[in-house]
Amino acid sequence: WMSKPNMIWINTTTYGLLISLISLFYLNQPNDNTLNPSLMFFSDSLSAPLLALTTWLLPLMLMASQHHLSKEPLTRKKLYISMLILLQLFLIMTFTASELIFFYILFEATLIPTLIIITRWGNQTERLNAGLYFLFYTLMGSLPLLVALLYIHNFMGSLNFLMIQYWIQPLPNSWSNIFLWLACMMAFMVKMPLYGLHLWLPKAHVEAPIAGSMVLAAVLLKLGGYGMMRITTLLNPLTNFMAYPFMMLSLWGMIMTSSICLRQTDLKSLIAYSSVSHMALVIVAVLIQTPWSYMGAMALMIAHGLTSSMLFCLANSNYERIHSRTMILARGLQTLLPLMAAWWLLASLTNLALPPTINLIGELFVVMSSFSWSNITIILMGINIIITALYSLYMLITTQRGKYSHHIKNIKPSFTRENALMTLHLLPLLLLSLNPKIILGPIY
Amino acid sequence: MKPPILIIIMATIMTGTMIVMLSSHWLLIWIGFEMNMLAIIPILMKKYNPRAMEASTKYFLTQATASMLLMMGVTINLLYSGQWVVSKISNPIASIMMTTALTMKLGLSPFHFWVPEVTQGITLMSGMILLTWQKIAPMSILYQISPSINTNLLMLMALTSVLVGGWGGLNQTQLRKIMAYSSIAHMGWMAAIITYNPTMMVLNLTLYILMTLSTFMLFMLNSSTTTLSLSHMWNKFPLITSMILILMLSLGGLPPLSGFIPKWMIIQELTKNNMIIIPTLMAITALLNLYFYLRLTYSTALTMFPSTNNMKMKWQFEYTKKATLLPPLIITSTMLLPLTPMLSVLD
Repeated sequence: WMSKPNMIWINTTTYGLLISLISLFYLNQPNDNTLNPSLMFFSDSLSAPLLALTTWLLPLMLMASQHHLSKEPLTRKKLYISMLILLQLFLIMTFTASELIFFYILFEATLIPTLIIITRWGNQTERLNAGLYFLFYTLMGSLPLLVALLYIHNFMGSLNFLMIQYWIQPLPNSWSNIFLWLACMMAFMVKMPLYGLHLWLPKAHVEAPIAGSMVLAAVLLKLGGYGMMRITTLLNPLTNFMAYPFMMLSLWGMIMTSSICLRQTDLKSLIAYSSVSHMALVIVAVLIQTPWSYMGAMALMIAHGLTSSMLFCLANSNYERIHSRTMILARGLQTLLPLMAAWWLLASLTNLALPPTINLIGELFVVMSSFSWSNITIILMGINIIITALYSLYMLITTQRGKYSHHIKNIKPSFTRENALMTLHLLPLLLLSLNPKIILGPIY
Repeated sequence: MKPPILIIIMATIMTGTMIVMLSSHWLLIWIGFEMNMLAIIPILMKKYNPRAMEASTKYFLTQATASMLLMMGVTINLLYSGQWVVSKISNPIASIMMTTALTMKLGLSPFHFWVPEVTQGITLMSGMILLTWQKIAPMSILYQISPSINTNLLMLMALTSVLVGGWGGLNQTQLRKIMAYSSIAHMGWMAAIITYNPTMMVLNLTLYILMTLSTFMLFMLNSSTTTLSLSHMWNKFPLITSMILILMLSLGGLPPLSGFIPKWMIIQELTKNNMIIIPTLMAITALLNLYFYLRLTYSTALTMFPSTNNMKMKWQFEYTKKATLLPPLIITSTMLLPLTPMLSVLD
């Protein structure tokens, strides 16, 4: 807020990059499987990669938003940046919370800046509806979570440090415990959408401005995954059969949303549905509760975060030029913007989980662990992988290849800023495939 | 009205409430209630149009009936215990009567019908006094007799109040009616834990009064009484629009704002007493409340209406000076979120 008017973007971006460097150095320690708490109520994060992802994304979000905010008055630009930073702060605190109620408060707190970003700076009139859907779906799921957390707090004495759950007892099988399990899990199921509750996601992603979409896709969905991983390990040692309906919904939903992607005309909506499909894989992984599946879930979350964010940036670069999200309006971009076509190619390849990338590592681990859980799931997983490849290539071919449409001959060439954005997204993805040990999570 | 008369009437209102809060003799409490009610009638009728007269008549009728019921309960208590001291009430009939009388004064369901109509018919300033100051006196009595209140009755009233407050406010565009329904719902939350932990009720009351005072002051800044007139505010006071945004979200009970503190504490107390379904229901219907607050914020702060209202009137500066006291209190109390549990233990 205190920068000169033409320096605000540069200042905030550099600060954001510095913060992400700090987080990388400080929290990629837990490699040797020891948990080092940093402060009293900031635990260590056995989800250090998610923290790194969050801090890495802030400067990227700022870089991505520069164009569509260029015409706004200065105060509103500063407000926007403050909202992003506030969201960042809440997300960092959420990932390093060590008590479940603190985590809950911050989990809800991340909703407010996101809501403000979506409704205030979104682009179409449907954004009001989108914000409402977003807020109320999430709150409806998370209020029972509050009651359940308080009940568990009374029942077990403490929720602090999340590792003083060494005195968990196995939950006996009774109706009230079933409701307790449901209350705990539904909030996270809504958040990383389970297939039946995913209606908020395409609305919110499509209506949000670019930074909102990026942060939504990349990090907020992972909040759900992170929360589920915390709660399942610490509170539900016995109710394995409760997972069956959600497993079936996820498996089926995975295929359904991927097939919907094949028939989409709206580019952002396609990416949103592909997010649902990838997250359904993560839900399956977390519900199976094997070491391999947890590793796969973590890797898949990080990989999907970077990939989806990158795809949204690419879609936004299209949107800024033709102000429409329809895919077929901007065909044949390879002849016009060849470097951008290279980024499109790489993003689509990572989306369909090409071999040495961490996307593949995540998906492969999840497929293998679900195969060991039940042999039949391999059929569904296989179908999903095929359809994912299909729609990724469909998106690639429609936007890049073929003859370009006549009316887009006079679009602006790619800015350096956009190319820098894409490289910054892609570089961690590719480098992590060299050393995926960092993101494989706590069990490695 | 003329300043000396206004001062005398205001002083009577305050004295009435003080007498209610500070006395231990039931007759004095009844006297305090009557003083309060009679003195607030001229305040309600400041505008002197038929609507205001109708509103104050309705207010007078309900409050007088409630006072009479209270007196009846006091007399029955006198009959069965032989003393006038405010303490545990020995007779269940007396306690039920007193509880119904006090909830009638508060505007809990099923005695909530007067609240929206009365609030709508009076000016914003009188509405503010009505919804905040008038709640203190009955709440203090409920606090004092809380060990002997019938839990089932009060919990039923609380639950229906939260439901009514949520659903009733959905179709409103008049701001005063929205605040009336919000008052009904918040009173429901407060009534729910009187029997379990009355300190939480005081916490909820304090925070509710703070938030409602700020809301009314923000509304009075540009004399807006409908959602439409509220939506013109982005042109004149852009800062106030973000204040209203945060305040509305806080009223709705979203973490990490301070409106979440009472809800959290109330749910904690209720779950400690093994009631799980009721707080879940209350929390979910509080989402209905949040919906119409959010709708208010949409039209004020989050969208730019095409009606450019460029009337740059000269504002009365005294309003801006008064308003700046309270919204910072709301915002700073968000920082107090981890500290309040420790304070309430000392209470």
